[in-house]
Amino acid sequence: MNRRDFFKFGFGGAGLAVGSGLASSADNSPSSPGRSVYGHPRWVKMIPRPKLAVDDNIYSRFNASNNVFGSFTRYYGEENRKKLMRESMNKTMEYYLEKRPGYRLEDRALADAAWVISRLGGLNRGTRAWTSKSVRTPEQRGVEIYNGSPEEAAQLIKAAARYFGAATVGITILDRRHIHSQERGKAIVFEPAGEPYEDEEKLVIPDKCKYAVALSVQMSLDNLQCSPTAISSAGSSLGYSRCEFLVAGLAQFIRGLGYVAVPSVNDLGSSVAIGVDAGLGELGRTNRLITPEFGPCVRLCKVLTDLPLATDKPIDFGLLEFCKVCKRCAKACPSNCLSFDDEPSFQVKGGWNNPGHQAWFEDAPKCLAYWQESTSGCSICIPVCPWSKKDKTMIHEIVKATGAKIPALDMFFSAMDEAFGYGRQKDADKWWSLNLPEYGIDTTQGKG
Amino acid sequence: MAEKGKFLVVKIRKSTWFIWVLRIIWVLWLLFWAEFTVGSWEELERRAFVISLVILLLSLAVGLFLWLWGYLEHKKA
Repeated sequence: MNRRDFFKFGFGGAGLAVGSGLASSADNSPSSPGRSVYGHPRWVKMIPRPKLAVDDNIYSRFNASNNVFGSFTRYYGEENRKKLMRESMNKTMEYYLEKRPGYRLEDRALADAAWVISRLGGLNRGTRAWTSKSVRTPEQRGVEIYNGSPEEAAQLIKAAARYFGAATVGITILDRRHIHSQERGKAIVFEPAGEPYEDEEKLVIPDKCKYAVALSVQMSLDNLQCSPTAISSAGSSLGYSRCEFLVAGLAQFIRGLGYVAVPSVNDLGSSVAIGVDAGLGELGRTNRLITPEFGPCVRLCKVLTDLPLATDKPIDFGLLEFCKVCKRCAKACPSNCLSFDDEPSFQVKGGWNNPGHQAWFEDAPKCLAYWQESTSGCSICIPVCPWSKKDKTMIHEIVKATGAKIPALDMFFSAMDEAFGYGRQKDADKWWSLNLPEYGIDTTQGKG
Repeated sequence: MAEKGKFLVVKIRKSTWFIWVLRIIWVLWLLFWAEFTVGSWEELERRAFVISLVILLLSLAVGLFLWLWGYLEHKKA
């Protein structure tokens, strides 16, 4: 009997009994057979639509050139940006010279190297190409295309996604408003085409691509706890590289079944919005997806496809109520870019936000400016979140299960989490001798 | 009474039901903190490890002290 089984049997104290009791009372009927195997913990509830409201009159497709990466100069000012870059370069050199842990040559080299696979792809480029010449189609094999039921197909997709490195997988009907209207200077359009393609003016997704497979990839909490250093940056970078491998592999698998697959990481559309619809998690105070299993310590990616799939539902695990009172991320944010508002609102902070949905909108240029200021990016909001846990002790699951049902305890849990030292910055120098498992993650976590 | 040398006699002092309940709760409490201590060590969460270890050891010490105190009181009586 392992620790998880031990927990499930409800043996281990009154608190445990409460946790188990709460867990078993959750309405968790699977919406697809895949969900029952590749599902969430029992205390996570399926709901018909995401908890945060969308104003259908306003919410529309976002032009990716308005995001903070594409328009940082516009939002921050040219002079300010130049000054920031100068200071960042000086500071980088200063840190090199003083051999500051987390900012030394070896730390920076690790962070850069962790990007290496991610850099092989881009919007309809390289590993993220929308079509593939190397795939062996059913036609080439002389057989019919895959014709299992949507439930069977969902099971296949989830198994394959897990095999290629997904921590969690969800499937949803694609809401086209989540797809960027423009990117790389080209319009992204839906047309009645047989295959996706790109020409001089536009990128075309076939109308028949009605499904989105939302995927999360674990990041190493041990790396991110060293934020803001290059060691932490390596955690994010490796997450992106693993996303690259995951979407490339899954897309090729779908093509091998005889269907269209459009792989994407941060390009093409909002992975967060698609992830919320597909039930990977809820939108948190950071305006990012938070999963019940790994908190915000995940990277997201997606594959659009015309393979008919049984879909999953959005989820509710009490995160909205938790974020309302916790505010640990906002307090810890060195750039003060996260909202302290008690309630999420429709009020955006600037052109980098896509309006028309409720959220705690962030001041993204401040965040990105701090990335330069720190010289190595920042992920502080991720490890300080009480949902970011390695789950090696059952208390975390008890707290999550109880918090999901009794929001009145959220403030207490958040305060206790802080008192016990979770989310504190770790020594980047010690990271090198931690003897971590592959990719710095526990691949069995959250697999109950 | 047992014949001398033939039987091993185990004596369990009679206690009221709530004393037994308290003992069970104490053992479960210890198990909980022991699991937390080991888990925190595995998670490399130093502060959580230290706090849980201190609570575990204190709980163990208080429990043993109460048990010893009860035993001595009983013997005196």
